[in-house]
Amino acid sequence: MKLITLAIRNIKRSFSKYAMYFFALSFSVFTVYSFLALMYNDQVMAKFTYSDRYRAMLISFGVVIFVFVAFFLISSNNSFIRARKKEISTYSLFGMTNRKIGWLLFVETMIVGSAALVVGLAVGIFASKLIAMILLNLTLTHFVGDVEFSTAPKVVYLTVVPFLLVFGVIGLTGRWVIGRFELIDLFKANKMPETRFKGSILLLLFSLMLMGTGYYLAAWRDPLLLMMLALPILVLVIVGTFLFFRGGLPKILSWLQNRRSYYRGDNLIAVSTFNHRLKSISGLMAAIAVLSAVAVTVIASGYTLYATVEKSTYDAVGYDLYFYTNDEQVLHDVRAAFAEHDVAVIMEHTTYRYQARPRTDMFVAAEWEFGTPDTYYRIYPQSEFNQLLRAARERYPQADVGKGEAVLAVRTGNNELLEKEWVGRKLDFSNSSLTVTACMDLDITDFGAYYTVVVNDSDFTALMENGDIITTDSGKSPFDRVTVVKYENPLGSHDLNRRLNQVLAGRVSSYRLAYNHYIDALENFGLVCFIGFFMSIVFILMTASLLYFKQIMAAQEERHLYQTLRKIGIRPQQEARVITKRLLPVFFIPLLLGFLHSIFAMKSADTMVFSGMLAVENSYLIVLKFSAAMYLGYGLVYGIFYLITRRQYINIVS
Amino acid sequence: MEILRVENISKVYGTKRSAKQFRALNNISFSVKKGEFLGVMGPSGSGKTTLLNIIGSIDRPTTGRCIIDGQDLTKLNKNQLAQHRIKNIGFIFQDYNLLETMTLKENIILPLALHGYKVREMEAKLARLSHDLGITGVLDKYPYEVSGGEQQRAAACRAVITNPKIILADEPTGNLDSKSGRALLDLLTLINQKYQATILMVTHDVFAASYCQKIMFIRDGEIYNELYAGESKRQFFDAIIDVMSVLGGADNEADYFSHS
Ligand SMILES: Nc1ncnc2c1ncn2[C@@H]1O[C@H](COP(=O)(O)OP(=O)(O)OP(=O)(O)O)[C@@H](O)[C@H]1O
Ligand SMILES: [Mg+2]
Repeated sequence: MKLITLAIRNIKRSFSKYAMYFFALSFSVFTVYSFLALMYNDQVMAKFTYSDRYRAMLISFGVVIFVFVAFFLISSNNSFIRARKKEISTYSLFGMTNRKIGWLLFVETMIVGSAALVVGLAVGIFASKLIAMILLNLTLTHFVGDVEFSTAPKVVYLTVVPFLLVFGVIGLTGRWVIGRFELIDLFKANKMPETRFKGSILLLLFSLMLMGTGYYLAAWRDPLLLMMLALPILVLVIVGTFLFFRGGLPKILSWLQNRRSYYRGDNLIAVSTFNHRLKSISGLMAAIAVLSAVAVTVIASGYTLYATVEKSTYDAVGYDLYFYTNDEQVLHDVRAAFAEHDVAVIMEHTTYRYQARPRTDMFVAAEWEFGTPDTYYRIYPQSEFNQLLRAARERYPQADVGKGEAVLAVRTGNNELLEKEWVGRKLDFSNSSLTVTACMDLDITDFGAYYTVVVNDSDFTALMENGDIITTDSGKSPFDRVTVVKYENPLGSHDLNRRLNQVLAGRVSSYRLAYNHYIDALENFGLVCFIGFFMSIVFILMTASLLYFKQIMAAQEERHLYQTLRKIGIRPQQEARVITKRLLPVFFIPLLLGFLHSIFAMKSADTMVFSGMLAVENSYLIVLKFSAAMYLGYGLVYGIFYLITRRQYINIVS
Repeated sequence: MEILRVENISKVYGTKRSAKQFRALNNISFSVKKGEFLGVMGPSGSGKTTLLNIIGSIDRPTTGRCIIDGQDLTKLNKNQLAQHRIKNIGFIFQDYNLLETMTLKENIILPLALHGYKVREMEAKLARLSHDLGITGVLDKYPYEVSGGEQQRAAACRAVITNPKIILADEPTGNLDSKSGRALLDLLTLINQKYQATILMVTHDVFAASYCQKIMFIRDGEIYNELYAGESKRQFFDAIIDVMSVLGGADNEADYFSHS
């Protein structure tokens, strides 16, 4: 009974000090509960588990969260006990047995843990409906209506039991930890600064080399190779990061200490103090760098995907709708569908899929082969080609081809290279030849072929008469014609699109609906986006609160330092500068390194995903633009934590 | 010339309304001439440290004024006080107050660094002082790696390195053996004579007190007695012992003196 009274008194007394610890515990409970609640929500599951890919994604996300929560609990508990060394040693000095102290710690942990469980669960139950709504709304454009959300007792149970176990284990390890304390160490603990890392030039170079190699590999331009290298790159960069904080940063600091500017008062204080903290914090800083990199990369990818869905849809499909058929009835039904749903058709155009096989030399341009025996081209008269371009969603410049000339359209991503090879070459038809004068980087007019040739209308007629252009296959049956349709609000008219799918499916040899592509992509990317945001919030809150925690502990030990400085006569502004210089690196070196990692990770993501999706010359620039927005957001939230910490630190030391 | 004047200073700890008010200093007035080496003695808890803190502008008096070099400290704002401390005052604290994250060298030059001195100047000053105090060999160590005496000497070094007008020393020899204690006292005397620095030294050690030109005795927050050094150091020493035996609180250092 007496033990419990003591425990409660301790908690009460130090509540303000350890509010952040409590907050952190509650937040882990909240995170785990919310995630489990999502996993056990029927609507969410129905939506995402029909595909194994999504299920795997959700599960790996779950694993990441659990690992992270465990890491978080362990390290915050360690700091917590360390911070109480003095108090514990006092009990010990006055004759309390280790066993009893162990019990005291256990009781305290259980009390605080249970309180955190209750708070975390309460917030989780309250917020999980909101979270599910956000997830479904992000991923399903046409999601309307309410999410059913009953609190499943099973989820509560699944959250409570593991946490009680974890708290119990943590409480018991306290006994083990204090068993290793020596009384003398305990009393020195507050007085004696942590021993410094000297750092080593070798470690510094080695860590830079590891990270550099990782970066170099990540910037590789071959997607397949990158896929294989993903794991080695991760290992290189992560190991490099840890070594950098363990041995490299201390070395850099000791270089700074040898510079003259080090002896300017505030540098002297801030650098030497930071240096002494480095040992206890280098692991955490490295972890933060890595975690921030992961989180920021995931949100940046998710956001880029999400923000470019529309563009990538049209880069892939080209038109709102196109289908291959010679069946007039289908065409009629399609028109009826538009009328029925009262959606205005902006443009409809039907064209033959003309085919020609002009001869050229054999050569390769921009990684495409030309002049092989089976090379054939889609060929259009200029007027028809321009009609198609107008029917496309994106605005393309109209083609203007002179007599005797030809324009070549191939999707290469590098039009200059193509033009360099092609311009001036001749396409030899049976009794005429046309000179290629320009190339275009597009593939929406190919309809099954690799290349498109655009010629002058009169040349086209001549070629047609000559038999150079065919519209039937070898068995003399005509190719299906293509119909392209451009209509109002193509991505928003859910009912119409559903109807179009019904009309077309199975009746035409092929059709593509921008809407289908768009919805697919949104579901996919919405999930990535959601996971990214959720993970970032978890990572930011936990890492930042760990940092906060450590800095507050440090502040208690550093109080004395500022008192002495004030006695010597440091000015208030100078003191503020010292505090800034002391805290800023702790927070922002890992963050900046994380961003750097992420910039290279986004390069890989660009090579593997985005460059194939976005039809622009340099998709990496677009990717970076969207990533920068996310970096900024992440940095801002992180910065708020910095400010909170700084404020609390100042409160403690002054 | 008068460098320090203390006028009717009182210090009351505890809030006005609380019952636990404690009057640590009670209406103290005195003045110190430039270049004086003044000792302050008194039993434990008599208010010596409090007085030194107020003179050093670390603490504010409840009532009364403290005027240094014609400047009324109560009229200065925080910034000006900090400036004043770093320029005019050198502290040697009872508990050293060295910063644990810095080497002794860094600790010692800290006031100069805060003041924006050039590295070369700092090192020149440091070399001379550390030689005088015999800590040249441990300059690159951290406070927890050296003995209490070495820490105390480093603290003294830090106090005098700025050539302050007034040095406030709170039991500077408390943790030193007789040899290094004497070295420190010799150094203070040297600074006192060579640079005309004014020194206020709190001490329980009669031998240390005998280096002073004048001793002020404090009891219960009030000035109890004053003694001036005469021709003979021995006589001065005996006189101090007489007062202290009435007051209580002196270390019994008679043997210590006869052996030295
Ligand atoms: N911050 C404080 N709050 C309340 N009382 C204080 C405070 N600081 C000092 N005192 C009290 O004021 C009185 C004078 O303290 P001071 O530290 O000046 O004594 P001292 O003469 O330096 O003693 P010693 O020789 O032991 O160092 C003491 O009784 C002490 O308990
Ligand atoms: Mg004292």
